[in-house]
Amino acid sequence: MHAYSLDRPERLRAHLAAQRRLYEVRPDCQGGQHWQTVSSQDRHAFEPSSELPPFSAKSFFFGERELLFRFDGGQFYSALPQVVPQVLFGLHACDLQAVAYQDQFFAQDAHYQARRQATLLVGLDCLHSCNGGFCSVLGSGPAVQAQTADLILLPPAEAGADWGLLAASAAGQQALHGLDLASAHADWPAQRQANEARVRAEQGSQEDIIEGIARLNLQAIDDSTWEALGLRCLGCSGCTSVCPTCSCFAPLDRAEGQGGALRERVWDSCLYQGFQQEASGHNPSATAGQRVQRFWTHKFGEDFRQRFDSYGCVGCGRCDRVCPGSIGVHGVMHKVVQP
Amino acid sequence: MIDSTPRRLHLLEQYEDGEDSRHFSLRIEQPAASDLAAKAGQFFMLTLPGVGEAPFTYVSLPDAQGCFTALVRRAGRLTQALFDQPAGSVLGYRGPFGHGWPLFFNAQPLLVVAGGCGLAPLAGVIEQASRQAMPARLSVIYGARHSGAQVLGRERARWQQTLPFIETFDQAAPGQRQGTPLLHLDEVFAAGPPAALLCCGPEPLMRASAEACLQRGLRADRIWLSLERRMHCADGLCGHCYLGSSYVCQDGPTYRYDRYLQLLGRSSPISQAPPALFC
Repeated sequence: MHAYSLDRPERLRAHLAAQRRLYEVRPDCQGGQHWQTVSSQDRHAFEPSSELPPFSAKSFFFGERELLFRFDGGQFYSALPQVVPQVLFGLHACDLQAVAYQDQFFAQDAHYQARRQATLLVGLDCLHSCNGGFCSVLGSGPAVQAQTADLILLPPAEAGADWGLLAASAAGQQALHGLDLASAHADWPAQRQANEARVRAEQGSQEDIIEGIARLNLQAIDDSTWEALGLRCLGCSGCTSVCPTCSCFAPLDRAEGQGGALRERVWDSCLYQGFQQEASGHNPSATAGQRVQRFWTHKFGEDFRQRFDSYGCVGCGRCDRVCPGSIGVHGVMHKVVQP
Repeated sequence: MIDSTPRRLHLLEQYEDGEDSRHFSLRIEQPAASDLAAKAGQFFMLTLPGVGEAPFTYVSLPDAQGCFTALVRRAGRLTQALFDQPAGSVLGYRGPFGHGWPLFFNAQPLLVVAGGCGLAPLAGVIEQASRQAMPARLSVIYGARHSGAQVLGRERARWQQTLPFIETFDQAAPGQRQGTPLLHLDEVFAAGPPAALLCCGPEPLMRASAEACLQRGLRADRIWLSLERRMHCADGLCGHCYLGSSYVCQDGPTYRYDRYLQLLGRSSPISQAPPALFC
């Protein structure tokens, strides 16, 4: 992994944007942040927020609505997405870990892989913890893990100083071709460690999270606790939409003119009352408590951790921010530890 | 890579086979080697273009021409629309999916317990046993709400010629056996304790049957259930058919009972209300 010194991240951004369609998180003037396309001519400074954008990179690969096939009245035709080379610029470590998790889950999914393989990922180390984040406890951050990104931006500790840039993959190294970059100063690993220690201290020990995971896997949480949590679940799907690793979907079939038809798949949520309901009316997860338990078992269950070699939660804290019933990750873990 | 695009499937004919159920003859266009290797207890996904897709079990497995049969119970919009399709309609097919039944026909007696349309996933096993040169010692206990709710009429008439086949009803007519299949277990065990149980029906019936056989000395690793779950992708991705950390479309639908309990997070028997419902 070669380390370079970068005078201005905008220079790298313009270089990459000249090769590919580039996306970066930008404020929307209403207090929000969104992924937006940035051209190679763009003159805005790269000023990443320490707060995560409301939506991770999930929808870039796992489309919220994806055409699967068409039927013309006689034959079925596969539909794969039209992809253009793209780059996601400035992804935080947690969101990159989520992409790595979904890369495994969707390893055999042609639609996901078509989008994913056309994408260069540029990570960004965090200098400070975002509000409510706990990546340091789950091992998904705050430093970008080399195997999850193609390039990694290392912000300077002091404004005005040079940035660091790590080429973390062959594709990342190749994308730098034509940029005249000097090697980084030898102290960049120490700077990363200092950043990591700072974020870790800001996030604290997160005892509820650690103890909650343990109790969940010991099956030490009784049904009444889950049902009490379920009472606060509105089944709104906010958590599953913003969760960067949630991957459930449902088919949507539609007739078209002259005997034609198509099937799309759309994001679904295991917290919906009808998620498992069968045509007979039988519902194996009929209560909200059962569904809340399922969601968190999927995130923190040991079977899943072993299968993917990491938890299904990356510690981004988005569910805490979006849940109207205050049963995001911290709300739930506090309740199961101190019912 | 997964291709979730269906292949063409031809509807050859359909006939009534129990109230609200029909027996479909279907033909896969250009069957693949994997179609011909389908096993009893596996399932396929049937698409009615523009309406939807759902899983169904094979009653008879695909032959060299791709022809097979399936039982469909009317339960919703898709199955109603399927009933309305004329012979010759072009449908969509994906499969086979999941794991079928363990097949071991030897000198040891086997017990099949089925409830309602749960007989359909077991049809291949019963059929195979009934065709053994020296009939395998397979006994069937088949429960249904009443005689009109029974399925696979033509097959049952054939099986009853070669196998011990007990039929029992929630609402029995005079001369018929009354009650759930559990009430008739002792009779089968008295004739010779079975070496294994294969069971399909409503989940409460399967659990109760498994527990009743455990109480009669059958080990949990000699009991298999076929689970029903809502399935959409059949590729282990859409998330709907979860059973603990397992996806029924990939790891099931047949589960050994000890594994089933483990996935539910239970090592001990499950207390259940007596099963009364047949699908």
